[in-house]
Amino acid sequence: MSHITNIISKELKELLTPGSVISVVLMVVLFAGLGGMIDSEIEKAQAFPELCVVNEDASIIEFTDADGTYTWSISSFLEDLYTSSGIPEDELSDYIRLVDSDSIDEAYAIMDEEGIGSALFVDPDFSKDIVSGTRGVVEQIYVYEPTGMFGTVSSSVVSSVMSMINEDLSKRLLGTQIDMTDYGFLTEPIDYNGDNVKTIVNGKVVSGITPQEIAGEVSSQTMMIPIIIMIIIMMVGSLVISSMGSEKENKTLETLLTLPIKRTSIVAGKIIAAAIVGLVYGLAYMVGMSIYMNSLTGTMSSGLNLEDLGLTLSVGDYALVMLSMFLSIICALGICMILGAFAKNYKSAQTMTMPLSIMAMIPMFIVMFSGWYGSGALIQAVTFAIPFSHPMMAMQALMYDDVTLVLSGIAYMVVFAVATILITVKLYNSDILITGLGQNKTVQKLTGRK
Amino acid sequence: MVDALVLNDVRKSYGNREAVHGISLTVKEGEIFGLIGHNGAGKTTTLRMISTLLNITSGTISVYGYDVATEPGKVREIISYLPEDAGAYKDLTGRAYLEFIAGFFASGKERDAMVEKGMRLADLGDRIDSKVDTYSKGMMRRLLIARAIMPSPKLAIMDEVTSGLDVINAFEIREIIREIARSGVTVVMSSHNMFEVDMLCDRVGVIDGGNLILLGTPGELKERYGADTLEEVFVKAVKNA
Ligand SMILES: Nc1ncnc2c1ncn2[C@@H]1O[C@H](COP(=O)(O)OP(=O)(O)OP(=O)(O)O)[C@@H](O)[C@H]1O
Ligand SMILES: [Mg+2]
Repeated sequence: MSHITNIISKELKELLTPGSVISVVLMVVLFAGLGGMIDSEIEKAQAFPELCVVNEDASIIEFTDADGTYTWSISSFLEDLYTSSGIPEDELSDYIRLVDSDSIDEAYAIMDEEGIGSALFVDPDFSKDIVSGTRGVVEQIYVYEPTGMFGTVSSSVVSSVMSMINEDLSKRLLGTQIDMTDYGFLTEPIDYNGDNVKTIVNGKVVSGITPQEIAGEVSSQTMMIPIIIMIIIMMVGSLVISSMGSEKENKTLETLLTLPIKRTSIVAGKIIAAAIVGLVYGLAYMVGMSIYMNSLTGTMSSGLNLEDLGLTLSVGDYALVMLSMFLSIICALGICMILGAFAKNYKSAQTMTMPLSIMAMIPMFIVMFSGWYGSGALIQAVTFAIPFSHPMMAMQALMYDDVTLVLSGIAYMVVFAVATILITVKLYNSDILITGLGQNKTVQKLTGRK
Repeated sequence: MVDALVLNDVRKSYGNREAVHGISLTVKEGEIFGLIGHNGAGKTTTLRMISTLLNITSGTISVYGYDVATEPGKVREIISYLPEDAGAYKDLTGRAYLEFIAGFFASGKERDAMVEKGMRLADLGDRIDSKVDTYSKGMMRRLLIARAIMPSPKLAIMDEVTSGLDVINAFEIREIIREIARSGVTVVMSSHNMFEVDMLCDRVGVIDGGNLILLGTPGELKERYGADTLEEVFVKAVKNA
């Protein structure tokens, strides 16, 4: 063996420990799972949405061409569109819901009751207007659902369906109303944009804004939070674990443990110091980010004011977010103190941070991509169980006045932090800190070693 | 004289393997007691149990009447443990390290006095204000000895204090140990240097494979084995065991 291969093989043996291999495999699994999740989110969002057509009768128009007279209506156009894209006829009623009412308030009530996310409200004078050559009004109504990045794509699908309806009607008008010369009307017979877009946010109806615009604004204000929290947790975590590793390497821990100090003071001291560092990092990042965000919004703001939508945070809400963040840092540190107890030296401490990083990345991806409200029960359970999710979700949750979620997250983190600290103190009272894991009886039993 | 340290049939198992098989001994106040034994004999394990670092599998240890297993807090107030190959916090200067440790024992003027004493013992000159990661092995050991002795413990436990040190440093450290023993501090130390143990220790215990096979003053032991040096005693005792 040449000298270089000798060195390479020794280095590889040191670097490819079971711990590092397992964490790489976990990462691959995690990303693969995320890919699937994002895929299904996008699919869900891009499929033809469930659509409610209110006051369908007002859209019935008679056309006469060379083949005779026939009627056209928005719902018949939609049925053709949906069936031609492969939806069986007997399932059409699951997608297109017709409601006979000429009150828009009733439309809101039905959407709310039946959980329908989008509706088209046809103006009572629609067909009369079209026949007389004025633009007919169709209002697009959306219920804004707080989901992740892709959750609101469906509203853009509805508005593209709306433009297809417009185009179809325009074609028919051009084919039949030969004497008409108002080409503005002929190409755009339906007035469905601008203030005719209505979005229901937190039970309040706002005009001229699509759910997508709101989601964009909300996420531009809250998107950085999960990333910042993930970075802080990883950073603070590796600080604590490495400090434990180097205390062991230099045997300063052995000295510390024979000094007249309570174990709880040692554990609490280490955790509090790291938490302060974490909060300082956190504040620095937030200040940096908000400066960055402000300079961006100066040039490309959607002109949307979340305050008008009731999507704002009070001082109390910000305090809750900070509390949630602080507790999640304490939880992270508790986990790190436990992991650090098993680190033999500075080097092995580095690999010990992997489980923590993975725990911090899972909720970040979930919160960013599908969002708490857009996720299924299983993902919600996983997200809730990881303490770091709570500050990542807190700001959005508070925008939607979901104080319960934030408070229950805070309660959970308190329990979690206390549990990890108790475990840590227990570890500090055992031999593990001095002898490492190798001699532990339960570990020996588990691995079948003698 | 008071019993400073009493070990009563002390055993320690790591997992299923027993490393210390029932050691009993008593050390009187002001004595310098030496533990000798070859590598892996169980010296460090025994010293760590005395220092409250390892749980005792069975048997009891008491330090000045305090039980190590049930009153570790009391024990920690009166002992000082110096691990083998120990280091200090790398980012601190020698002075800052002494201040850090002194903070656990005293405050205000008392603490300053303790740090002064520590600096005198360490005798590092102006290097006391250098970061400890620039220290040589001997300088580090002096700092740590100073740290261990500075709070005036009643029992000092030192694992291989002079190993790897040059003649002068080892000599000076032995002088310090002798001096504190004269002032009433009990010292329990381990060493591989038979010459050192012979000169320094009032009594010696020989550990072999986790058993205490010999106990006595260096003079007694030499006489019993008809040997000139402790080294000879050690070799004969271990071979017969
Ligand atoms: N953390 C540990 N896990 C398992 N076995 C251990 C551990 N520490 C020590 N031992 C075992 O206990 C026995 C006694 O070890 P110990 O360190 O007490 O020896 P020692 O007398 O201090 O040796 P040395 O002179 O080399 O320092 C040895 O067999 C050793 O392998
Ligand atoms: Mg040893």
